[in-house]
Amino acid sequence: MIKRLLAATSIATLCLVASASAAEKVEMWVRTGVGDAFKKAVESYNSSHENQVAMTEVPFSELVQKYATSIAGGQAPDALSMDLIYNPAFAAAGQLEDLTDWAKSLPYFNSLSPSHVKLGTYEDRIYGLPLSVETSVFAWNKDLYKKAGLDPEKAPTTWDEITANAEKIRALGDDTYGFYFSGGGCGGCMIFTFTPLVWGSGADILSADSKTATLDTPEMRKAVDIYRNMVKKDLVPAGAASDNGANFLSFTNGKIGQQSLGAFAIGSLVTEHPDINFGVTLIPGATGGTSSFAGGDNFVITKGTPKIAAVKEFLEYIYSEDGQKIMAKYGSLPTRGDIADKVLAGLDPRLQVGIQAISVAKTPYTLQFNDLINSANGPWASFTNAAIYGDDVDGAFSNAQTEMQSIIDSGQ
Amino acid sequence: MTGSGSKTLSPQRKRRRRSGWRGLVYIAPAMALVILFFVMPVIFTGWMSLHNWPLMGGTRWIGFKNYVRMFHDARFMSALQFTAYYTVIVTIAIFAVAFPLAIFVEKQRRFVSAYRTIIFLPVVVGLATASLLWVWLANVDSGFIGPALKALGWVDKSPNLLATFDSAFLTIIVMVVWKIAGFTMIILLTGLQAIPSELTEAARIDGAGRWQRFRHLTLPLMRKTIALALIISVTGSILAFDQFYIMTSGGPQNRMISVVYYIFNQSFVSFNLGYGAALSIALLAILVAISIVQLWLLRVGEERP
Repeated sequence: MIKRLLAATSIATLCLVASASAAEKVEMWVRTGVGDAFKKAVESYNSSHENQVAMTEVPFSELVQKYATSIAGGQAPDALSMDLIYNPAFAAAGQLEDLTDWAKSLPYFNSLSPSHVKLGTYEDRIYGLPLSVETSVFAWNKDLYKKAGLDPEKAPTTWDEITANAEKIRALGDDTYGFYFSGGGCGGCMIFTFTPLVWGSGADILSADSKTATLDTPEMRKAVDIYRNMVKKDLVPAGAASDNGANFLSFTNGKIGQQSLGAFAIGSLVTEHPDINFGVTLIPGATGGTSSFAGGDNFVITKGTPKIAAVKEFLEYIYSEDGQKIMAKYGSLPTRGDIADKVLAGLDPRLQVGIQAISVAKTPYTLQFNDLINSANGPWASFTNAAIYGDDVDGAFSNAQTEMQSIIDSGQ
Repeated sequence: MTGSGSKTLSPQRKRRRRSGWRGLVYIAPAMALVILFFVMPVIFTGWMSLHNWPLMGGTRWIGFKNYVRMFHDARFMSALQFTAYYTVIVTIAIFAVAFPLAIFVEKQRRFVSAYRTIIFLPVVVGLATASLLWVWLANVDSGFIGPALKALGWVDKSPNLLATFDSAFLTIIVMVVWKIAGFTMIILLTGLQAIPSELTEAARIDGAGRWQRFRHLTLPLMRKTIALALIISVTGSILAFDQFYIMTSGGPQNRMISVVYYIFNQSFVSFNLGYGAALSIALLAILVAISIVQLWLLRVGEERP
């Protein structure tokens, strides 16, 4: 029924579109919460090219559903900025244009962000190319460090140090806290900021082939202990326990001493909250090492779109030095490694940390990312809340391990 | 006699047939709406439930496998369990608040229409809006309830009401009662007002006490009204979704996933439209069964002398 209704409305829209003029107008969707980088790039493309890009922002939590239903109804946009973790699932469903030949003909193909290209590849064909890169990093508030008698220029390198610093910052007063994370079942936030603790120490939550859940490791136990300990010592605001991601950027209020956040946030902190004096460094692993989550968006093209030439022209503009510079200025790290230094020249030096993070960063490759990780009711989201805030840590581990494995098995 | 009777219709039957047609014309618009927006979608949902029907890609006939899967689905079972628990608690709470309110506003007293209006006001707020409002009220830092408790000195530290199951569940129950009790009160009020005052007078003259009048006069005469209020409340509670989605996103550690929430997740998060359709059909069957049982228990339709 839904499909038929959607089909009917899409025919109606097609009739309207048919009378458009010669210059192509590319419909493109982008998720919210990725900062202004892409928006600004579209603006500058539209002002310098005959073809135009019409960008629609879709709430990040609904983009996947909306895109899937619109594909089912035949009224999908021509292209999409898709959270790269969903790329495998959509490619596997056969809904995306195969870009292999064109991509490989690009002279800079080999310098495109490798984890993005990996996520865009399904059964040796390429269905998605990097559009924006974001890595997770650890940020600290230099003003609060100074007030607490800490060296504001010295980045913490272990979680013991972070906890000790958090205690000193918490001692500053009632509503000043040492650390923050969105612990109310925000799977996306926690995979982004919390798994680097485990990755840095050499463990992972999924096996290399993504067919086995490997949640219960000594490294994960240690990471959970670190967070539990900080919660127990009242170093984290009480609101964190029920924050489903809405207050992810609490760091911007200036009363949070330390928080793991993303490179997009560096961009918006620099441009929108210039009063926050902060430093960034790589996220330490629970038992040593450093790591990061390489996130961001892939550029995908809906299968069968008639405007493929115009879409490719737009993407080539994004990959040009101009396009890369605009993206970087608003917090999206360069997707082309070969010109990264040139692009970042003159920009905020803290973005360099985001670039360094790429070399240690990981991204899980699974067709079931939404079910396993991102869904607010998935096993990962509830695990993070249960393990850090619940009374039964062992139970949280065994429940999540079982449920993740059963989701993986049912998808085989 | 017999032959002619079968060929020509008696005038009485002709009239009945004509009025039958006229009746059909009268109900045709309603029937059309019901068929278009209820019967057809239900049939289509039933059809979908027999398929593996992903949101993207092709569909595949799998017979009753979705229904079989349901019985082994632990998450569906716990959703059912939670929904039943919620329905029982919230229905009792709504009636416990709405009945005294109805009795209170039924008597003619000063400002009674003002009371009625004030109690009814939350009903006109949308449930999603009310949920958002209470998310703010319950916010640990910038809300009202927690900071107020702290200001009164009842707690040392503002509590995060939505962080643990018990306090979050209590918050939602209070919110729903605040939102719905006014509506139930109005329904019960109409029932109370329909009781002729002569009967109450007569009972009073016969020496019946307050409780006896309530138990043996008011309650039996309000049977139909209570049945209506009960069915509306139970159906609404079984279909609850907004408050859990908005206020707790399924609650601490997924302990507040109602059945509708689970259907939504299966259909639009996991993209299993077919399985979601099967769950919807199961929920429909459960609702019909519960409504029949309620009507039977309260014996609506059977006239008492």
